[in-house]
Amino acid sequence: MKRKQWGEEEMHKILIIEDTQVIREELKTFLLNYGYEVEALESFENILGAISHIEADLILLDINLPLYDGYYICREIRKTSQVPIIIVTSRDSEMDELMSMNFGADDFVTKPYNTQILLARIASVLKRTYGANTQGELLNYNGLTLNLGNGTVSYQQRSIELTKNEYKILGYLMKNKGSIIAREELMEVLWKSELFIDDNTLSVNVNRLRKKIEDLGVENPIETRRGLGYIMP
Amino acid sequence: MKFSTYLKERIGFVGINGIIFVVLLIILMVFRTKLIVILMLGVTWFLPLMSYMIIEYMKYKHYYQELEETFENLEIKYLLTQVIKEPSFAEGKIFFEILRKTNKSMHEQVNKYEGMQKEYKEYIESWIHEIKTPIAAVNLIIANNKDVTTQKIAQEIKQIECYTEQALYYARSNDVNKDYLIKPFTLRKVVMSVIQDHSTMLIQHRIMPEIGALEEVIYSDYKWVKFILNQIIGNSIKYAKTQSGTLKIYTHRLAQCVILTVEDEGIGINEKDVERVFDKGFTGENGRQFIKSTGIGLYLCKKLCNKLGLGLTLESEAGVGTKVKLIFPVSENSRVD
Repeated sequence: MKRKQWGEEEMHKILIIEDTQVIREELKTFLLNYGYEVEALESFENILGAISHIEADLILLDINLPLYDGYYICREIRKTSQVPIIIVTSRDSEMDELMSMNFGADDFVTKPYNTQILLARIASVLKRTYGANTQGELLNYNGLTLNLGNGTVSYQQRSIELTKNEYKILGYLMKNKGSIIAREELMEVLWKSELFIDDNTLSVNVNRLRKKIEDLGVENPIETRRGLGYIMP
Repeated sequence: MKFSTYLKERIGFVGINGIIFVVLLIILMVFRTKLIVILMLGVTWFLPLMSYMIIEYMKYKHYYQELEETFENLEIKYLLTQVIKEPSFAEGKIFFEILRKTNKSMHEQVNKYEGMQKEYKEYIESWIHEIKTPIAAVNLIIANNKDVTTQKIAQEIKQIECYTEQALYYARSNDVNKDYLIKPFTLRKVVMSVIQDHSTMLIQHRIMPEIGALEEVIYSDYKWVKFILNQIIGNSIKYAKTQSGTLKIYTHRLAQCVILTVEDEGIGINEKDVERVFDKGFTGENGRQFIKSTGIGLYLCKKLCNKLGLGLTLESEAGVGTKVKLIFPVSENSRVD
C-alpha cells in the first residue's frame, strides 16, 4: 500500500545495506509507504558489485556489516560513484561521525533513529543532490491540488491561499489519504516545523481549513473520526 | 633531619665512649699521667669519632632532605620510588627495597581493578550499542503499524531509549576529555533538536514550549550539551502536573556568559530538597511521591557540566515549578562574531 503519491515527481530509489533482517524489512516497508522505491541487499558477499548494478539514488549504509565494515564500503563506492550515502550506526562518538564524513558520506544518522527524522534526513539529502522541485511539489486529492511551493490550494480553476499551519495539516492529510491521522500525530508534524501549536489551536486551524476548502466547492473534505483523529477518505 | 635527632639516635654509642673515657681519665689521673698525654689521648680518641659521625650525619641529611623535597614536590605521591635514588647506606637500602616492592604490589592491584573497570565499561558501551538495534527495529515496526496499541508501546520505547542513553553517558562521563569536540553552534539548534526528540511526550502531557530567540552562539561540545538538555527537559516532562503547562526556554546575555533557562510548571521540589538535587542517588520527597526517580539524571548533568566548564543551577518551588539554568561562559574571542 502506498500512502503517498507525489504529483509529477519521479520516485527516488533507495538502497538499504543493513545486516539485521528485521530492520532491513521494516525499513523497506516504511520507505515504501512513504513513496520511495526500495531495494535491500540480502547478501553481503559482493556489495560493490550489487551497488553498481542497482543504480540507487541514495544509499542507507549500516556500519556494522559482516565481512567488510561500512566505512570501507563507503570509501570504495566513492572511488567510482557520487551517489549520496547516509551512514546509519549505533555508535555515536565524534570519531565515528568524523570518519563517516571523511570517507565521503553525506549524512550520519544514529540508531535508534526517530523515523520522522530519518525521513527528513533522506528528503534533505535527496533535495541537496537532485535539486528541489519547488514548483512541482503538488499534491492531488480528488481534483483538489495543494502546491507545497507557495502554499495555495486549488479546485476547478479557483484557488485560495493557506497559512503555514493550514497547508502543513492539509499536506500531511493528503499524503496519508485513506488513513486516520491522530490529532497528536498532526501536532507532531507541525512541531517538527517549529510550529508549536496546542490542541485548541489545532481544532481552530482544522476548522478554518475546512471552511476554506468548502468555499472552493469541495464537500466535507476532512472527516473527523471521534476519538481517533482526522481522515481524508 | 636535625643534628640533635641524629645524635639522640646514637646517644648510647657516644655515652659509652664518654663513660669509658672518664673511667680511663680517672685511672690515668691516679697514676699521675701528664696533662698533655691525657689531652693527646682525648684528641686521638674523639677527633676521628666525631668527624666520622659528622660525615655520616651529612650523608644522611643530604639523602633524607632530598627525599623529603622530592616527596613534597611530587604531584602523584605513589610514584616516589620511581624518581628517588637508591640510598648508599645499608639501612636505607633495605627500606628502599621494601618500599619498592610494596609499591609494585600496589600497582599490580590498582592495574587489576583498572582493567576490570575498563572491561566493564567497554561491556556496558557495547551492550548499549547492541540494544540500539532492536530499539530501532521496534521503532520501525511501530511506524509501519500505527494504531492505539503501538502508540502506547512507542511511548514506553521512548522511555527505554532515554534510560539507555543515560546509561551510555554515565559510562562515558569519566572520560569526557577523550570524547569531545568543541564547535560553535547556536543554542536554538540544540534546544530545537531536544524539543523535537521529546515532542511526542510533550504533546501527550499537554506541555507547550515557549521558546525565545536563542540566537546566541556558544562554543562547546554539541553532543554533551544536548545530553544535558535532554535530561533537564526529560525531567520537566517526568515531573509535569497532570493538567497542561508551559515550558519556557530563553536566554540572558551577560558580559561573561550566556544563561539558558528552562522553566517548567511542574510539581516542583520541596525547599529542603533543592540543595541536594545534584547529589548522586538523591530523590526528593516529590520525586519519590509522584514518580520513581533514580537520582542519577541531575547528578550526571552536574558532573558533565563541571567537566565541560559550564554552570548549572536549579531553583524550584513545590507546586509551582522548576527553573534550571545552564550557564555558558563566553570568552572575548567568541564574542567577536
